[in-house]
Amino acid sequence: MAGIRDTIDTKGRRLPPVSRRSLLVGATAAGGLALAWSVWPRDYRPNLTAAPDEHVFNAFLKIGDDGHISAIVPQCEMGQGVTTLLPQIMADELGADWRTVAVETAPINALYTNTLVVDEDSAAFMPRTGVPDFVADVRSWARREWAVRHAVMLTANSSSVRMFEAPCRDAAAQARALLMMAAARRWDADWQQCDTQDGFVTLGARKLSFGELAAAAALLELPAEPVYRASSADPLYGKDLTRLDLPAKVDGSANYAGDIRLPDMVYAAIRQGPFGATRLKRIDRKAGLASPGVLSVVEHERWVAAVARNWWAANRALDRFAPEFETGGTPISSDGIDRALAAALKGDGSRIARKGDVEDAMAGRERIAADYLVAPALHAPIETRTATAAPSGDRLRVWVATQAPAQCRDAIARATGLSPAAVTLFPMMAGGSFDACLDHSVAVQAAIIARQVKRPVQLCWSRAEEIMRDMPRAPARAKMTATLNAAGGIDALVARIAVPSTNHEVRARLFDGTPADVAQRDAAGRVDAAAVEGAGGVYAIPHRAVDHCPADIGLPTARWRGNADSYTAFFTECFVDEMAARAGADALSYRMAMLGQAPLLARCLLTATSLGGWEGGLAGTAQGLACHSMRGSHIALMATARASDKGLQVEQLVAVVDAGRLVNPAIARQQVEGGLIFGLAAAVGATTDYEGGLATARKLHQIGLPRLSQTPQILIEFIDSDRDPGGIGEIGVPVVAPAVANAMFAATGRRIRRLPLSAHPL
Amino acid sequence: MTKFSVNDRPVEYRMDPETPLLWALRDASNLTGTKYGCGTGDCGACTVDIDGEAIRSCLVTIAECEGRFVTTIEGLSRDRSHPVQQAWVAEQVPQCGFCQSGMVMTAAALLRKNSNPGDAEIDAAMTNICRCGTYPRIRAAIRLAGRVLRGEERIAAAPPPGIRPEDAARAIPALRPPPGR
Repeated sequence: MAGIRDTIDTKGRRLPPVSRRSLLVGATAAGGLALAWSVWPRDYRPNLTAAPDEHVFNAFLKIGDDGHISAIVPQCEMGQGVTTLLPQIMADELGADWRTVAVETAPINALYTNTLVVDEDSAAFMPRTGVPDFVADVRSWARREWAVRHAVMLTANSSSVRMFEAPCRDAAAQARALLMMAAARRWDADWQQCDTQDGFVTLGARKLSFGELAAAAALLELPAEPVYRASSADPLYGKDLTRLDLPAKVDGSANYAGDIRLPDMVYAAIRQGPFGATRLKRIDRKAGLASPGVLSVVEHERWVAAVARNWWAANRALDRFAPEFETGGTPISSDGIDRALAAALKGDGSRIARKGDVEDAMAGRERIAADYLVAPALHAPIETRTATAAPSGDRLRVWVATQAPAQCRDAIARATGLSPAAVTLFPMMAGGSFDACLDHSVAVQAAIIARQVKRPVQLCWSRAEEIMRDMPRAPARAKMTATLNAAGGIDALVARIAVPSTNHEVRARLFDGTPADVAQRDAAGRVDAAAVEGAGGVYAIPHRAVDHCPADIGLPTARWRGNADSYTAFFTECFVDEMAARAGADALSYRMAMLGQAPLLARCLLTATSLGGWEGGLAGTAQGLACHSMRGSHIALMATARASDKGLQVEQLVAVVDAGRLVNPAIARQQVEGGLIFGLAAAVGATTDYEGGLATARKLHQIGLPRLSQTPQILIEFIDSDRDPGGIGEIGVPVVAPAVANAMFAATGRRIRRLPLSAHPL
Repeated sequence: MTKFSVNDRPVEYRMDPETPLLWALRDASNLTGTKYGCGTGDCGACTVDIDGEAIRSCLVTIAECEGRFVTTIEGLSRDRSHPVQQAWVAEQVPQCGFCQSGMVMTAAALLRKNSNPGDAEIDAAMTNICRCGTYPRIRAAIRLAGRVLRGEERIAAAPPPGIRPEDAARAIPALRPPPGR
C-alpha cells in the first residue's frame, strides 16, 4: 500500500517545454508572480483507496497480490471508450496480460488535471496575436497552474488520449521499473536486463508474476530516469481489443446515476421555469401533497421538486402542485433569437483571425456573398439528467455523471453550505452527454433535496425537462463574402459569424457557479474566439478574415459535441462548394487546388472520393463533399443524398480520417461512426423552437432524431499514421451537414443554407 | 390486480395500479437494467418482453400486466449467453450503453419470431433511438445473432459474469488464486 511518490508535472505535456527557470524569469518580467510561485503547492499525492491485498504504485495504477491490475481512469466514460483506451495504453507499457486489467474511476485530485484542454480552450478564447511571447508563456503557465490548483479534470474537446497518453505511459513505466527492480533483487541481477511480458517480469528463462512482486515493488524507490518498454512483438497498443464496458452494457448491469439503490431512498421529480430570470411564484401545496404516493415537496427559488416512493408518483404529483413561475424581461423566442443574430451580424464584430489584407484585396472587385443560418442544437442524450444524493450528518455523498468532477463537487458545496471536503462525489458513467454533463444543476438540486428531506434521494429530470431546460449548442448566422481571382479561385474570404459568446457563459457557470441567465447576460457582447473556432479553415486563400459578432440571444448556450466547428465547417464547406459551382469547377479539384499546405487533409479527400466513386460533382449525381480538420485530426466525407417523397434521404456516407496513430482502431471506428450519425442528426433535426422562454418541443419524437431506418450506408477508412493521436470523438460531426447540403445541391440544383436542412422546403 | 410474472418469478406490486410497468420494475423491483428515456414510447430504452412481444414498459400500466409474463434484460439470460447479447459484444455495438437494454430486448423479440429478418423488417422493428450512433452495428449484430440462432455460426464474445477467482487463476497464468483458498 506504500510507495506513493507521485508529483504532478505542472509544465504540462505535449507542449513546448518550459523550464522552471524560464518560468521564474518570465514571471519576474511580468511582475510580482515569482513570490507567488514559491508558495504555490507543488506536490500532490495520490488519494487512491487500496484493498488490503492491493498496492498503490502511483495515481494511475494499483496492482494486487493476485496479479490484478487496477487502471485508474480520470475521465468520464460517456460512450467514447475511455475506460478501455487509457487502460490499454497502460497495459501495453506495463507488459500486462489484458485479461488481468480492471478499471477504477479516479477520485478528485490535481494529479489528473487536464491541462491540455485548459490550454487549448484558452488559446482559442484569448488570441495571443500581438502579445509578446514571454508574456504569453507566463499566461499559459499561470493558466495551467490555476487548472492544477482547481483540479480541472475536464472531459472535453476529444482530449482524453491526447492529454493522458503520456501520463498513462509514464505511470505504467514507473510501475514496470519497480516490478523489475523487485524481481532483480530476488534474482540478484541487474534490473535493467529484465523485461516484462503478459504479466510477468522475465530475465532469460526466469519469470515472476506481477502479483508475486507487487508488495515489495511498491516500497522501492523509482529510478532517476524513466525506462520505457522496448516495442513488443505483439503490442496491445493498436489492437482491436473489445471494450471492457461491453459485457455490462448488454445485460443491464452497467450502473448509471439512476441505477443507484440505497436503503430508505426516495425518488424526486422536478419542474423548472422558463429560461431567463425566473423564480417560482406559487404552488398548490394541498393538491400536490394529496397526490398518491407523495411524501414531501421541496420549494426552491427557481424550481420545485416532488418526492415520492417511486419516480412516476413524484412526477405525477408535480402536475397537481401546478407550479407557477415568474420570469423577468422579454421571454426568449425563436423569432427573437433570429432577430438578435441578424442584428449582431450587422453590428461591429471583432476580428479574430486575419491573413493577408482582405480589405485591400476586395476593394473595387465584385464581392460574392451568402448568408447561412444554423438553429440551436440539443444534446438530447437518452439518459435524462439524473443524480443520487445521500446525506449523513454534515456529510453528503453524491452519485452523478460529470465531465468536471471537482467543479461539480464545489457547486454542491456552494449550494448546500458544506465544505467541499464534506462532499463525496462518485463519478458515474454517462448515458450519452455530448457535453451535457458539463452542467451540474441536477447534482446540486439532488443535494438540496436530500439535505431537506434528510434521506437518500434520486432525482431524475423528465424528458420534457431535459428538452426544455437543455442549454443548447448556440445558434449562429454567418455572412460569407469572397472575391475571386481570374481563374475563379478564391482570392479573399471573410467569414462574419454572429453567435453568442458561449465560452464566457460556460466558464462562469462551471467555475463561478453563476446562474445561467446571469452568465448569459454577463457574456453578451464579449469577444469569444472559441465561438468561431474552425472558421479559419485549412485552405490556402491569400486573404482571409474571421469576425466574431457577439449575439445576445437571451437563451443560455453550452458546449456540445463538435462545438463551434459544427457550424463553422457548414459555413465554409458550403460556401466553397458554391464558389466551385460558380467557377464551373469540380468541387474536388477546386478544393485540392487550395490544399497544398494541408497534405494530410488532401490525402483524406482524395481517398474518400476514390472510395466513394466521385463522379465529378455533376448535376444529378447527388454526391457532395466536405472536409475539415480539428483537434489534430482530419476528415473528408463524401455524402450521397436525395430528396424523396419521404423528405431528405441520405443514402451513403464515405469518410476517410487521419487521426494519427490509433490506440484501438475498433473504438476509433465506433467514434467516427457515432460522430457521423450525431452530425446527421444535427443536419436534419436535434433542435427545437422556443416560445415564451421555453422550448416548444416536449417529447423526443418532436426533435427529429434519426432512427435505424434513416441510417445511411456508412463506410469509414483510416489513414495509417505514426503521428501523435488526434481527437476522435468530435471529428465525424462537422462534415456531415455541409456534405449532405452539397449533395442536395448536386441532386436538385438548390442550395440549402440553413440547418437543419429539413427545415427548408425540399 | 397487479399480480404477474417478472423474469419467471411471481410478483404482486403494492403500488397504484396505474403505475407504468417501467417504474414498478425500476423502483420497486430494482431491475434497473430497464431504462427511462422519455416516458412517451419514443426512445424504446424501457423495452421489455411481455408474452413474447417487445413492449415499451413506460406505456403499459401494472394493471394491464395482470397475469402476463414479463421478461427484462436481467431475465433474458442468466449469463449473457443469449445470441443477441453475444452478437452485441462481438460487433462492439454499445457506446454509452444507456439505450442498449432496450435495443437488445427489441432485437431478441424480433429474432424469436423470425431468425432471418430482412433489412425492411429490421428497420420496422428497431424503432428505438440511440444518440451515440450505434445503428449500423445493430444491423450487423442482428444478422450475426440470426446466424447463431439458425445454427450457422457460434460466438463466445462476452464472458459470463461472476467468474470465480480460482477459475480465473487457472485460465490466466498472470493471476494467482486468492490467499487462503
